[in-house]
Amino acid sequence: MRPMTSEEHFDAIIIGAGASGLGAAYTLAKYGFNVLVIERGERVGSKNVFGGRIYSHVFEKVIDGFNREAPIERWVRKERLTLMDDNDALTLELSVGNDEYRNSFTAYLSKFLRWLSKKAEENGAFILTGTKVDKVLIENNKVSGVLAGGDVFKADVVIDAEGVNPILARDLGFRDDWKPHEVAIGVKEVIKLPKEVIEDRLNLGDDEGVAQLFIGYPTKYLPGGGFLYTNKDSVTIGVVVRLEHAIRNRLPVYDIVEIFKRHPYVHSLLKGGSVIEYSAHLVPEVPMGNLDQLYGDGFLIVGDAAGFVLNTGIIIRGVDLAFWSGVLAAETVKKAHDEGKYTKEALSYYESLLRNSFIIKELQAYNKANAVLNNNTIYNNYVKSILGFVKDIYTVDDNVKKMLGTMLNSLHRNNLTLVTAMKDLITVLLNL
Amino acid sequence: MSNEYLSIEERLGLNSYIIDKEPHIKVNYEICKNCVEKPCTYVCPARLYTVDEYGNVHFNYEGCLECGTCRIACPHGAVDWNYPKGGKGIHYQFS
Repeated sequence: MRPMTSEEHFDAIIIGAGASGLGAAYTLAKYGFNVLVIERGERVGSKNVFGGRIYSHVFEKVIDGFNREAPIERWVRKERLTLMDDNDALTLELSVGNDEYRNSFTAYLSKFLRWLSKKAEENGAFILTGTKVDKVLIENNKVSGVLAGGDVFKADVVIDAEGVNPILARDLGFRDDWKPHEVAIGVKEVIKLPKEVIEDRLNLGDDEGVAQLFIGYPTKYLPGGGFLYTNKDSVTIGVVVRLEHAIRNRLPVYDIVEIFKRHPYVHSLLKGGSVIEYSAHLVPEVPMGNLDQLYGDGFLIVGDAAGFVLNTGIIIRGVDLAFWSGVLAAETVKKAHDEGKYTKEALSYYESLLRNSFIIKELQAYNKANAVLNNNTIYNNYVKSILGFVKDIYTVDDNVKKMLGTMLNSLHRNNLTLVTAMKDLITVLLNL
Repeated sequence: MSNEYLSIEERLGLNSYIIDKEPHIKVNYEICKNCVEKPCTYVCPARLYTVDEYGNVHFNYEGCLECGTCRIACPHGAVDWNYPKGGKGIHYQFS
């Protein structure tokens, strides 16, 4: 870190050293830009929370030696989806036999981001921690810098990577704040357990991890779900529930993880463990507004602040989208610099890069998923009837239980019919 | 000893904080007096909003997880929300 004088001028200032801000910083510094990242946390990673896993494709593309160097806890080779009611659990598991399979990994986000910040610094980026950006400065209708910790920092362009609470972008008039139906609240605990215990209980090899999603019981049968990820010697367990439903149903959000942990299935996985951290984070749930609101004269918005989170129902991705949006913002800045102007028109290149990237292609492909997934019936009636059906089939007693009759019984017990079930299944298949 | 089941106060006690002298979130309690739903009292994941026997809302910023939920959940705009000053507030290590 070199000493800063007030009103120092940078090529680019990045607000926030999260995955998106560091994606931008790494890329711009690599191109030789004079980049300043301003991070409010005491250290990089102090303020960051994620579910528990990261998809590696974007990091492999950008960072040489990523697989060898990054602080990866475990490579996910078991994917599990569990339907859960008050007592029972029904799990579908994909177990990948190839021990070279490396698609996503678990990590401690704070540690991962500190590693990423070192890589950006090696490229020449300056990272100023413990400093909050209080205001984005405007001169002649163009963003000209920021006011942070009482000092003015000027730049040709400011990249807003402030995170899911878009206070600065809102105050600038770039976007509205979130509404309760647009976000979910995620809460989680990290639980320390010996490495061998984790590997025994979850049937894992040495560097192998599991990612498990749960629907039904963890959210009290409301839209959302539970999740579990294994690190080397800890397990992350949490619940995400859509805020509008939490409000309407007076859900005690502060205790939902503890209630989830009391379920017999989860209890047996985690018994003897010690909680080492409790955290919470909002998750954007709706496709964002117009892409042309994500940039203006001398300004670009990336990551969670832009709402770049993808939820397909069984896959939830944020960190890879965030990082890549930062890389695309950096590419935009490079082009604008080459052309010598940072006008909104010049920065509209960001929109075309986004549209041609997996970020917008995937978000658009799943643009109806939000509405489909916001249906209480899935998390309540369907979870209970599928679980009930399978339990009936496996329970031997005096009744004859052939497939179709048993299924119809279970559907009817949960106020569903075969016709509505078929219709809903088609809707899900068409949109997810 | 293991700490398998913990109250919210116990869980917040496990987190690391650098607490500022001044609150980063300011609540307009006058607005809260007329609020019937009080969603902040159950959706705040740190349970920092409580109601006393007279129905008054109380808020303590010190255990804040900085998620932003209260700001969005408040139906009456009573929550003036900001991040803590640089270097202050929650210090996550394993999340």
